Amino acid sequence: MNSAVFHLSGPLHLCGKSHFIADEPPLQGQLYAKFLFSPVAHAQISNLDISAAEKIPGVIKIITADSIPGENQIGTVVKDEPLFPETEIMYVGQPIAMVLAENEYLAELAVKKIVLKYKELPAIFDPEEAYKEKQGYIQERIIARGDVETALKNAPFTLSGKTETSGQEHFYLESQRCLAVPMENSRIILHTATQSTMEVQEIASRILGIPVNDVIIEVPRLGGAFGGKERGATIWACMAALGAFLTQKPVLVKLTRDEDMHLTGKRHPFTSLWKVGFDEHGKILAYDILLLANGGAYTDLSIAILERAMFHSENAYYIPNIKIKGFACKTNLPPNTAFRGFGAPQGIFVIENILAKIAEQLKIDPLEIRLQNAYQNGDKTPYGQEISDCRLTDLFNILAEKTNYLALKQAVEVFNKNNTRFKRGIGIIPVKFGISFTTTLLNQGSALVWVYIDGSVSVSTGGVEMGQELSTKVAIVVAKVLGIPVHQIRVESSNSQRIGNASPTAASTGSDINGNAARIAAEKIKMALTECAVKLLKQKHQLNVSPEDIVFKEGKVFYKENPDACVNFEELVRFAHSERVPLAAYGYYKTPALWFDRDKGSGNPFHYFVWGVALAEVEMDTLLGEHKIIKLTVMHENGQTLNEEIDRGQIEGAIMQGIGWCTMEDLKWNEKGVYLSANPSTYKIPGIRNLPEELEIEMIPSATEEASVFGSKGIGEPPLIYGLSVFFALQAAAKEAKKDAELSFPATPESVLQCLDGLYPIG
Amino acid sequence: MKEQNLQTEIHLNQITFFLNGKQITEDVPAGISTLDWLHAKKQMFGTKCSCNEGDCGACTVVIAYPFEGIITYRAINSCLYPAAKLHGKHLITIEGLGTPENLHPIQQTLLKYHSLQCGYCTPGFVMSLFALLAMNSHPDQETILAALEGNLCRCGTYNSILKAAQELSAKFSPSEIVPEWCRNTEQDLYSFNETDTMFFTKTDIPQQVNCYLFPKTMKQLFDFYAEHPDANFIAGGTDIMVQKNIDRKVFPVLIDITNLPELNRLYLRQDGLHIGSAVTYQQLYESGIVKTDYPVLHKLLAQIASQQIRNLGTLGGNIANASPVGDTLPLLLVLDASLWLQSDLEIRQIPLNDFFVSYRKTALNKGEIIKEIIIPPVKSNSYIKFTKTSKSKSVDISSVITAVKIEYNEDIIINAALALGGVSALPMLSQKFTELLTGKKLSTINIDSVISEVEKEFEPLTDIRGTALYRKKLIQNHILLYFQELQKEEK
Repeated sequence: MNSAVFHLSGPLHLCGKSHFIADEPPLQGQLYAKFLFSPVAHAQISNLDISAAEKIPGVIKIITADSIPGENQIGTVVKDEPLFPETEIMYVGQPIAMVLAENEYLAELAVKKIVLKYKELPAIFDPEEAYKEKQGYIQERIIARGDVETALKNAPFTLSGKTETSGQEHFYLESQRCLAVPMENSRIILHTATQSTMEVQEIASRILGIPVNDVIIEVPRLGGAFGGKERGATIWACMAALGAFLTQKPVLVKLTRDEDMHLTGKRHPFTSLWKVGFDEHGKILAYDILLLANGGAYTDLSIAILERAMFHSENAYYIPNIKIKGFACKTNLPPNTAFRGFGAPQGIFVIENILAKIAEQLKIDPLEIRLQNAYQNGDKTPYGQEISDCRLTDLFNILAEKTNYLALKQAVEVFNKNNTRFKRGIGIIPVKFGISFTTTLLNQGSALVWVYIDGSVSVSTGGVEMGQELSTKVAIVVAKVLGIPVHQIRVESSNSQRIGNASPTAASTGSDINGNAARIAAEKIKMALTECAVKLLKQKHQLNVSPEDIVFKEGKVFYKENPDACVNFEELVRFAHSERVPLAAYGYYKTPALWFDRDKGSGNPFHYFVWGVALAEVEMDTLLGEHKIIKLTVMHENGQTLNEEIDRGQIEGAIMQGIGWCTMEDLKWNEKGVYLSANPSTYKIPGIRNLPEELEIEMIPSATEEASVFGSKGIGEPPLIYGLSVFFALQAAAKEAKKDAELSFPATPESVLQCLDGLYPIG
Repeated sequence: MKEQNLQTEIHLNQITFFLNGKQITEDVPAGISTLDWLHAKKQMFGTKCSCNEGDCGACTVVIAYPFEGIITYRAINSCLYPAAKLHGKHLITIEGLGTPENLHPIQQTLLKYHSLQCGYCTPGFVMSLFALLAMNSHPDQETILAALEGNLCRCGTYNSILKAAQELSAKFSPSEIVPEWCRNTEQDLYSFNETDTMFFTKTDIPQQVNCYLFPKTMKQLFDFYAEHPDANFIAGGTDIMVQKNIDRKVFPVLIDITNLPELNRLYLRQDGLHIGSAVTYQQLYESGIVKTDYPVLHKLLAQIASQQIRNLGTLGGNIANASPVGDTLPLLLVLDASLWLQSDLEIRQIPLNDFFVSYRKTALNKGEIIKEIIIPPVKSNSYIKFTKTSKSKSVDISSVITAVKIEYNEDIIINAALALGGVSALPMLSQKFTELLTGKKLSTINIDSVISEVEKEFEPLTDIRGTALYRKKLIQNHILLYFQELQKEEK
């Protein structure tokens, strides 16, 4: 459907004419914010002296915790995060004071004049240590089924271990920013780069001590977010709001790249401790896992992220006896936050790593062992949701056929036999990704559609455009309902005055929720227009037709048996207006049949699952630790896509982020909790040379009843998992060189050479 | 003289250049980057700022200027390019190419392939492609990758960008890529009448850079320096501008050496290849002499940073910067490179090996500059190779970089050199390697003992680019790699 529709903002982006916040001329009297950031991870503030800084000419105001008129609290899930700390500093980079000045240079000068005195306190960075000391955000959570202890005892084979995955910097190209502008009546408008308009609006109002309706949120679009602006934008929006509120001047808060990398939350590093029992065929009988999420200094979204990790711990496999425990650890890193996949990749990585170990021990083919354990229709997940519409076995078989798997495996064996320095490996990974916010209340959305007098259409939803082309998809949906060309539709910015109480654009639900709300609104208008069309066709063409036989297509409206006797859309709209028929509608959608009981660890948290499989072939240089990705092949089950090319872009992009996470993005901090790789010259994200040499993505349509708007499925996050196939291919290649090689995460050249230590003995 | 200078300092802080086809004369604050100038002074926000340190490519613009008889179009990071340098050039930004209603072929093709998502990196990619296609007829895959490796897209649209670039390469020639308004400026660029000297000052509020000077002669350069002993020299700016943008370092006076003809020469003499210190990596890479006579240098140049940086950065800057992981330094060391250093009083020649004194300290005296780098001719019967290990395949700084040279007489090694970067405070030659190999036949060398002896010479540190242990491992494996190749060659 509609592959010929291109990115609605594409021509603007390509000409540098698209509007991003703060990439615009400054407003008259605009002030610039710079911050004093905490130099320590954990400390008691003993004194904060701003007097010298205040005296600098051009410095308008210095804002600290004391200046906040409302409540100094930006937490949502748990109210535990102050905008500025009053007594206790919790992480390196935490904002302590904000300087507002006439220009950035003066603001920077003033920051240097602020004197902060503090008493350092012991800090924790390691999740295992936090777990031991019961430093966490919730009680240990559990999802269980069967009798794991007995099954482990009786299993023919068992393995146990610890698996770690590291964090990941979002590296959205557009840094965190907000431009706040004061309005009459003590109201304020926030031009904020957020994925969560409702959250920013509510929390800013809390900080300012004014009603929510006095804070107006306007989001034109985001220059990338990937989860980093779901919660991460809130603090900066509140800063700008506070500055503008107190000075009654426009205030710009805009982080530099290095600031953004140093002090914003990242993907949660996870440490997992596990035991697994299996039989001689590689069938997993029992799985006991404890997931420790490194949550950082405040709750943020850690609880939901941990929960999604738990929901995805078994990935695509039926495990009869399973106990999934999870703990969200409180540490003194910047509060870790949402990042595409939202915990699922961390959970999935562990079980896939285990499968690789079992396959190695039993000498079973990696594809075979996955088929052996794959979910079948009728199975239930550990939390009791029934699996239906699962075509995993098919997908594996199609993948094997497409890649000529047996021949490929043989070729790799031959290559490895003939080469010592270079080794090849194959990695295979399936994905089952649950779509819906696991916090059920977020699964609702609104849209507002206006048809104007000339037939042109304006659509607002609560969704935020951040490159995923939500707006293009929403336009496609509305165009389809109203039977008009896509270019006749404008999808508007996200604005709280048009759409209130909007859920974050996240969890791969953007087009499901907002697309459906827009569909519902458009259908309401269409219904009203249909009544008018009956009248108009009678007037104009003397046709007597019933409403259900009216067709809206390509800007024309006609009786289905007689397309020639038509009225055009604009004509119908004018007619409807003259008949005093409403030409606007509000659409509301909530995802059906969702529930989850957190105490019991059971329920139906997902609307549906997205399924897919990937295979990677890599070649490793065992001397230099480098690698190349020879091929990556994906079979992605995709419902009835709204636009295949948009979805392909999402799959490719997610894969690149997955590859980056598991092979090169090396997020390190020192013993003081300072991020070391906090600029683009030390933290490397994939570039064009990191593309697989051959990248084949096949989208397999499915006629699923459960999918969402017009049979489409969420696309943002699931494909990130495919990137992990590269890690497992590298692990396989390393084992070809050295049998007991254990590749650590991420698979940088350093990690590769470390696991191959002793391969080239010297002396 | 001094009085006259002062006067010009007040009045002549204007430059003349072309901006998207139109000639303009503008006040340019000293040291302001082209990116900041576009945003602050022209309110042109199509060019995006993402990292402000030359690593992401979002701020890519194209400059055009006469070079070796043609108008050359180069992609550069506008965040690293002092706007003062624009004098006499043509600055082409995203605002100059197509419009949404009338897209340039590059923009059209990117749209067709869905080669963009959030759009923030998009103008940078368009400009990189523009420079690539303006200069190359039907570039091959490697040339395309080289042109785009300096542009990051976190949405990960590389695959479709590559497909679009391949189609552009197949379908279009430079004549169809460079618009008429661009061609129309070319004649003016050739005949651009440069003013004698340009001075840039800003005195009202303190700035990071108060004065930016363009000497036109060597004499003027040293006069300026005598007048401003606190001055720093700037060539490509790829390091100084990062210190300015990110570390917020103050440079009271910058003396730009790139307009000096003496420092822009590239010529072959009996004693070897002479490279002026303002010659860019890209000029070297494109040089026929380098390609044929120094193929290993040619290869190394391709692995330095990104296209945008290669278009600005200079070999002289890499040397003067004296970073222990400077990409070119180990290779230049094994090639026995030497330097001509010039002050207002004298020119002296010193071997590169004597130039590096201690961590980031060089033998340069105050007021002395590198004039030329001399690389002796490469002997025919020799093995020369370098190995760069870094986290990323491209646009990365090495964990360890090494270079090796073995010269034979018949099958006897008469000259052996191994240089390493990233394993000590300065790039360094291994004494042991030379000792243990010279005068020997390859087959009689105990490789293990060479490796362990060389390893003992160095005490690498642990930092973000690798642990000490890892770096030791890399020393071993790089040497092993060289011997493996040597043995293969011998067979």
